[in-house]
Amino acid sequence: MASSWFRQPSILPGFGLTLGFTTFFLSALVLLPLAALILKTTNLTWSEFLATVLDERAIASYRLSFGAAFVAALINAIFGFIVAWSLVRYEFPGRRIVDALIDLPFALPTAVSGIALATVFSPTGWLGVRLQEQFGVQVAYTWLGVVVALTLIGLPFVVRSVQPALIEAQRDLEEAAETLGAGPFYVFRRIVLPAVLPALVTGFTMAFARGVGEYGSVVFISGNLPFKTEITPLLIVIKLEQFDYNGAAALGFGMLLVSFVMLLTINLAQAWSRRRHVGAGR
Amino acid sequence: MSIALDQVTKRYQGVPVVNDVSLNVRQGEFLVLLGPSGSGKSTLLRAIAGLTEIDHGRVSLHGKDVTHLTARQRQVGFVFQHYALFRHMSIGDNIEFALRVRKVRAAERVARRKELLKLVALEGMDNRLPAQLSGGQQQRVAVARALAHRPEVLLMDEPFGALDAKIREELRRTIRQIQRELKITTILVTHDQEEAFALADRIGVMHQGRLLECGRPDDLYTRPATRFVSTFLGAANLLLGYRTSRGVRFDARSAESPREVVAVLRPEEVELATDAAHIRSNFVGHGVVEELLFGGAVERLRVRMSSDGPVPVAPGNDGNGSLGSLLEVSRTLPEQRQFPVTPGLRLAVGARRIHILPTPISSFTVVAGSEDATRELTDSPLLATLCTRMQTRVGSQVGNGHRAPPGMPVLATGAGSAEAARWQLQNGATQLLCVPPSAPLPKHVIIHTLDPSARRATLAVAASLLRHVAAEAVYLVIHPTESLEAERAMRMRDLLDARSSALNDHGLDMRTEMRPGDVAQELQAELARYDDSMLVLGTADPESIRWDWLANVLEGTPSRPVLIVNSARLEAPVEA
Repeated sequence: MASSWFRQPSILPGFGLTLGFTTFFLSALVLLPLAALILKTTNLTWSEFLATVLDERAIASYRLSFGAAFVAALINAIFGFIVAWSLVRYEFPGRRIVDALIDLPFALPTAVSGIALATVFSPTGWLGVRLQEQFGVQVAYTWLGVVVALTLIGLPFVVRSVQPALIEAQRDLEEAAETLGAGPFYVFRRIVLPAVLPALVTGFTMAFARGVGEYGSVVFISGNLPFKTEITPLLIVIKLEQFDYNGAAALGFGMLLVSFVMLLTINLAQAWSRRRHVGAGR
Repeated sequence: MSIALDQVTKRYQGVPVVNDVSLNVRQGEFLVLLGPSGSGKSTLLRAIAGLTEIDHGRVSLHGKDVTHLTARQRQVGFVFQHYALFRHMSIGDNIEFALRVRKVRAAERVARRKELLKLVALEGMDNRLPAQLSGGQQQRVAVARALAHRPEVLLMDEPFGALDAKIREELRRTIRQIQRELKITTILVTHDQEEAFALADRIGVMHQGRLLECGRPDDLYTRPATRFVSTFLGAANLLLGYRTSRGVRFDARSAESPREVVAVLRPEEVELATDAAHIRSNFVGHGVVEELLFGGAVERLRVRMSSDGPVPVAPGNDGNGSLGSLLEVSRTLPEQRQFPVTPGLRLAVGARRIHILPTPISSFTVVAGSEDATRELTDSPLLATLCTRMQTRVGSQVGNGHRAPPGMPVLATGAGSAEAARWQLQNGATQLLCVPPSAPLPKHVIIHTLDPSARRATLAVAASLLRHVAAEAVYLVIHPTESLEAERAMRMRDLLDARSSALNDHGLDMRTEMRPGDVAQELQAELARYDDSMLVLGTADPESIRWDWLANVLEGTPSRPVLIVNSARLEAPVEA
């Protein structure tokens, strides 16, 4: 047999070529640097490694990095969905402009958004003052600031992944549900949400992953207090500045492991749910 | 009435897609809305279901006004063209959806689901997902789902559109059977006339947002009222005929009779013979077989009639006016055996049965002082639109002949037009149209009769016009300010009679209004109230028209289109 068991026949040739490229790029850009990182950690003994990774300050930073990224991704999942919904379902003046604005956090250097956010939210900033006076809430230099920065960074991921799913979602399904007697909330929960859930989860995952690794925008607004508002990427940079390359590599490896496990879990869960619903057929 | 629509109108960006549709559907009746794509039939169906809001009119279900209720509150069953099954739910869950929403107990739900799956012959499919079913099966599920909550009305939007021919036929039979069994009032939308014939108790034909005609399939086929329906339902040859004392004749020599009519000649009603003497039915003319197609059970021919033969109603699309008309003919096998023909054969043509369209407007003849003027008038928006939509022909004539042309003469408004109009009416015109060459399509048509006896003919012409022009119609009755009580009562009766006659005889839903005052002044004021108004004026005696006033309307600025109906001549018996 010429074709192997995993190779689907295709009209376009080039299976060997494309798989070759895939392997090369993944190796050169992802696997090789990561392997170097892992190699670097092997300079440490087990006990040294564990001491670095399980250091109290490190654990506090994990909690902030993963916690804030999770909260921000959650906020984005909800509000990003609403933004995508209004962009897809309604025609309003300035819709194209709003649509273009969504991508700005992608294009802006993250440091710029960080500085801008810090300026606005700082206790003397335009919004910061009002929040302080009205609600007694301080955003900048607290964990809230971190969440705000990560929300800004993650928004386009959710909007851009949900938008096509909403466009594709058939209106007649909603109409069918309505004629069958379902109210708006019921239609949303049972018809609209299941249709866009995979896209929403994808958007959430990407926003979360980006949030975990985000550095530039956070350092300006978080205040960087050890144990309180210090994110893991910052801790890694601090270690690098102290020439503790092995420590930095250990922390990086730790993050890598946790992120990989989380992303893999979400992907597998999605693949499972997709199989259950059989995407094929109109 | 199970479903009652009253003057339903829906506009998209100002353009009416459903235009003034009134319709009643009886309990248990199967109505098919038939029309070409874009005729507004789906929009109308969605309006009944509550999926589309309407701009004007009323929708009632079982005597209850539901115009302002949501689709959810109307509780109809709706079947979509693309099934609209919930893909993430099993077949069972899909069918139970309406019951779950209504919080029906599980045991009852399961019982109903089994019952419905049996009804659509899909027993045991409960746990499949929609994607695992074929198109025909999916549509069966959609039907079952729509019936789950026992709706009293079932609406189907091109339910077979996405299926192939064989499945389509099978599903058609299933649906007819289910409908009979449940005796559920049903409206189905389709563009397929075969489907309409196979399913319908009654067919409503829609065209350009209007419900042109509604009736039993055989009635619509044998006795259509409009050109559109006669050609849309089956094939038809539309010919201009002339009513004479010897019946309807088609040759141009009989054209001295002004009583021009539109005759529908079905291809299967055409008789062919070697010469005129062998034609046993109404002789139409001579022709030459131009094309012959063998089609199994029936043979299809096209016969080119000689140029002195019958005149087609619409200019042929063969692009050559100097040749005679092309006649579509179909013959059964026994007919073929009796008289075999070959292309190029010259033969005699007869009509076994013709149907005369009740439409009083048969053709238009533009009369003007010069070729250019006739061309300008032919291209005027109103006349051009009427000709396309009515599928009728426009002749032209420079200067007055010795008498009015057959059909409807068309004059340009402006200086001298009143005198010209008067001449036409005095010299045999039964109806007359005066148009400002640049006037847009009228949006408000004011109908007024000078004599009660002219009402029937006037309404017939007005209805014929309004079937093809999307305009609001007002029937205006004007009585002198100091009229007696008895006089006013009589006018009121006239008004009510007019309204019911318009609706029943012509399907024309018009507003009626009675006001005191001077006829000329009131009409002029009414015309001036709208930018795009038009007057339809009926009279039994053209001499009774106040010509000085009409000259004002026709020759003043801005002038409005005016249609004058001379009922005395239109309804006169044919002179021997």
